[in-house]
Amino acid sequence: MFLHYIDLSWRSMKRTPLVSMLMILAIAVGIGVTMTSLSVYHMMSMDPIPHKSDKLFSVQLNTTDDGNNWWTEDDVPLQLTYKDAMALHNADTPESKTASVRALFTVHMNNQEVKPFLASTRIIGHDFFTMFELAFLYGGAWTSEQEAAATPVVVIDEETNDRLFGGENSVGKQIYLDDTAFRIVGVTKQWRIHTKYYDLNNGAFNSPESIFMPITLIAPLEIQNMGNTNGWKYEEINTFQERLQSELFWLQFWVELNTAEELQNYRDYIQAYLVEQGTKSRFERKIPQFNLKDVNEWMQYNKVVSADNKVLVGLSFLFLAVCLANILGLLLGKFLRRAPEVGVRRALGASKRQIFIQHLVEVSMLGLLGGVIGIGIAQLGLWGVRFTSNEYASLATMDIKMLLAAPAIAISACILAGIYPAWLVCRTQPAIYLKTQ
Amino acid sequence: MLSMKNISKVYQTEKVQTHALRDFNLNVDEGEFIAVTGPSGSGKTTFLNIAGMLEPFTGGDFMLDDVNVGTLSDNQRADLRNQKIGFIFQGFNLIPDLNLYENIEVPLRYRGIKSAERKRRIEECLEKVGLASRAKHLPQQLSGGQQQRVAIARALAGKPRFLLADEPTGNLDSLMARQVMELLEEINREGSTIIMVTHDSELARRAPRNIQVVDGQLADFTLYQNKAMDEIAAKAGQPAIEA
Amino acid sequence: MLEIKPVFNALLRSKAGAVMLLIQIALTTAIVSNAAFIINDRIDYLSQETGYPEDEIFSFTVKSFDPNLDLSQKFEETETMLRNIPGVENAGLFNASPLSGSGSATGLSLAPASERGPDVRAAYYQADENALNILGISVSQGRNFRADEVIVSQTRGVFPLVVIVTRTLAKELFPKGDALGQTVYFGSDPLKIVGIVELMKGPWLQDSKPDNVAIIPFVSASTFQHIIVRTQTKQRAAIMRQIEDLMLEDHSKRVIIGLNAMDVKKAEYNASDTLMLRMLMVLIIVLLLVTALGIFGLTVFNINKRTKQIGTRRALGARKSAIINYFLVENAMICSVGVTIGSIGAFFLGRVLLQHYSIPALDNMYILSTALFVIAISLLSVLMPANKAANISPSIATRSI
Repeated sequence: MFLHYIDLSWRSMKRTPLVSMLMILAIAVGIGVTMTSLSVYHMMSMDPIPHKSDKLFSVQLNTTDDGNNWWTEDDVPLQLTYKDAMALHNADTPESKTASVRALFTVHMNNQEVKPFLASTRIIGHDFFTMFELAFLYGGAWTSEQEAAATPVVVIDEETNDRLFGGENSVGKQIYLDDTAFRIVGVTKQWRIHTKYYDLNNGAFNSPESIFMPITLIAPLEIQNMGNTNGWKYEEINTFQERLQSELFWLQFWVELNTAEELQNYRDYIQAYLVEQGTKSRFERKIPQFNLKDVNEWMQYNKVVSADNKVLVGLSFLFLAVCLANILGLLLGKFLRRAPEVGVRRALGASKRQIFIQHLVEVSMLGLLGGVIGIGIAQLGLWGVRFTSNEYASLATMDIKMLLAAPAIAISACILAGIYPAWLVCRTQPAIYLKTQ
Repeated sequence: MLSMKNISKVYQTEKVQTHALRDFNLNVDEGEFIAVTGPSGSGKTTFLNIAGMLEPFTGGDFMLDDVNVGTLSDNQRADLRNQKIGFIFQGFNLIPDLNLYENIEVPLRYRGIKSAERKRRIEECLEKVGLASRAKHLPQQLSGGQQQRVAIARALAGKPRFLLADEPTGNLDSLMARQVMELLEEINREGSTIIMVTHDSELARRAPRNIQVVDGQLADFTLYQNKAMDEIAAKAGQPAIEA
Repeated sequence: MLEIKPVFNALLRSKAGAVMLLIQIALTTAIVSNAAFIINDRIDYLSQETGYPEDEIFSFTVKSFDPNLDLSQKFEETETMLRNIPGVENAGLFNASPLSGSGSATGLSLAPASERGPDVRAAYYQADENALNILGISVSQGRNFRADEVIVSQTRGVFPLVVIVTRTLAKELFPKGDALGQTVYFGSDPLKIVGIVELMKGPWLQDSKPDNVAIIPFVSASTFQHIIVRTQTKQRAAIMRQIEDLMLEDHSKRVIIGLNAMDVKKAEYNASDTLMLRMLMVLIIVLLLVTALGIFGLTVFNINKRTKQIGTRRALGARKSAIINYFLVENAMICSVGVTIGSIGAFFLGRVLLQHYSIPALDNMYILSTALFVIAISLLSVLMPANKAANISPSIATRSI
């Protein structure tokens, strides 16, 4: 029976090719536009580490005076000072935690063969690799002893390893970052994430860094960070030591808390830490203020999906609604004109239900065709997005979910538009149409 | 008042030329009631369409009240149609979205008659066809006979000099058909000229003048009879009478 | 001879199709007026004057990794090398590149930091007395820096005593308009305003105060150093192509990155706005097309449905123009109700966008012009099928089916 309905639908479409094409075009364009903006939105808002996103927390401490404004919604600075970040980093609790900051180094081999290049570098504790699930191709993270002793060791990523060592196991080899020699202890597999959720400060969709270095090297090597550095009060800073002791915010801090109990314990710990710091007259704040936000909360807080994207998704769905109204109008005309034929079918024993289903099958087919063409249009749209913006290059794609969503949305939208006309038609009294021609 | 001389109508399809009418001659005087009969496909409807200026003709002269129809523009024909001709169709052709009052109003609006005058005329016509109480009804709420009476009222509302009726009783049962015919006769008595196409010979016989269309040519009933006599005469070996 | 009432009555009796058209038109009006407004807002933003001859300027960053190098001295040589390239007008060290999205800002106040007066946030560039010339900007009041006012130092131990500010910043610091010659404080360091420029944007165009900019005559050559070069427009591309080689020839222990023309940098910084602009434009165009096609399709449908009726009307004396008018009037009625509802919708949609998505308040002129435009498009879409309808032969009326 279902095949028969499909056959009937196909004939019906052929009978009114112009109107059928208009309807398919309308749904295709509607789906195309909607899927273009929805795909970008989907990629932007996608949970980057789904099985763990509720266990990783970004830490914010408000170490400014009461009444100090910040551009976050709750006036809490996004980053930490060096002294706070290191205090938390060196604390006993919790098990996994890391301060984190970005720097830029010139990579070279101290010879003429390799042309020096700049590499974006993440400076972190060794827990970073397990916390954010970086896989190793060769070797592994540096040890806590190496970290404590500020040993000049690095982990490089697959791409850098390919570039410098032709993809061979480079563990134990030496590279130069600026003027310092480092020993490679590990090579990570390429880290494929489209949202750089662990540091959203300078472009949420930039690529991850390609070199990783122990956080304890900041002080001895006087490493300048590349990223946001913000102050809230005037300080005389002339030396690097003064900078490390300053109230400037320039590091991120992440902890892994696996249970509600761990979370509560850590809250208590931070609370106590802030109370203690408050007594050192670093800042004047009556009630200690801090945030522990998990990955998804952190992305929302940092407005990873920009207002523009939300507006576009909203407008696209309104656009789809226009297409639906368009289709509904055409379907009404098309179906009602067929009332005499339906009258005959009814007289020949078709039930209301059968007529109703026949027509819904027809609109579903329109939806399916429109959805498939819509995917094509969306691909065109996404190509346009990639063409316009480098930043969106990795975001403007459709994953399997979106590819399946397109016809699903198209068909449900068409059925939604088709219900009323189909209902009108199946209500047809056979007698009326049989009497007069 | 209506005169057709050597009217011909050729339908040109891709390869075939069909002569729907040829050398068609007819004079109609004021106040006549003419029934047009003929077999299916003989050209009755084509004749009616041309008489009502619904279709252009291919050759010949067609004068309506001393106006040469062949020289008129589309707009002039539309206006002339509106002022002088009332139509009654086999399928009634009431506009389904409009109620009876509004249906009758259609030709009056095209003529640009003022609202009050329109109202007076519509009520008068509805009265005449006995449907005054149903002015607000939609066509589909009426029986076929009632619908045709509305169509007649619509044709009459413009006080046309000609009433062209195309199988006005074709879709009606005999009782309703008789009522419609009586209505037409009454209208004729009041002075309107009526040309009625029908295939119902009984109805046709009630009309004072009968003409027959055969193969696109006109056979006036009397002429037809003469021709028949000619043939009889010819068979009898007598010379034909000049018609 | 516009038959409004009967058209209206006929419409009421076949309402579902009309309602759909109405919804379509209403939504279209609401979407298009808001989208057009946002588009215009972005166009204004993207095409704003920055004060710079953007097509003459390019910039790049030098990362030096030679520990034994005297950076100040080396960069002085580098500057000379750059200025001697044929086609180069001027070149010099900067702490940040204008319009690039990265730079420095501080609070300038009327009292030293120890007194904690209120401050005015401003982006600042640090460069020598060539700064304005390199950026292609001239002083409109006061004077440029003198060479002896420029401090070249690796630390902030000695700080300059003068500053040049933009008109906007001057007005915010000194609303009375007497900024020239006054002193402002950068932390605890006093700076005397010696010059005012009319327009010079900071590094962040999206900043709430992109016009608050100061230039401080301070050069602190660093291992991560921005260099800005102004060339003759036509020579720029050629010079940019050879710059990396020249720079490495000048000194080998350095890496050149971020080599980009100023207008390209600006476009990269604004990519998301350009994207929004383009997507909205596509959205509007396609939407209007779909709506026009929808109206067209529905009219064709209505006409097919009413062929007999149209023939009858013609038989009853309707001129062709009367038939066209019928469809135009019908459409105009649906359309005007549609745009009315749509305009109200547009107003509320604008309010939602304003409240939740920091889009500026919708200008009602956009609603009005969109409404008129939609009506025009709608009538145009009807015109073709209506013309076809007018050509339906009146003899249809006598056909029996």
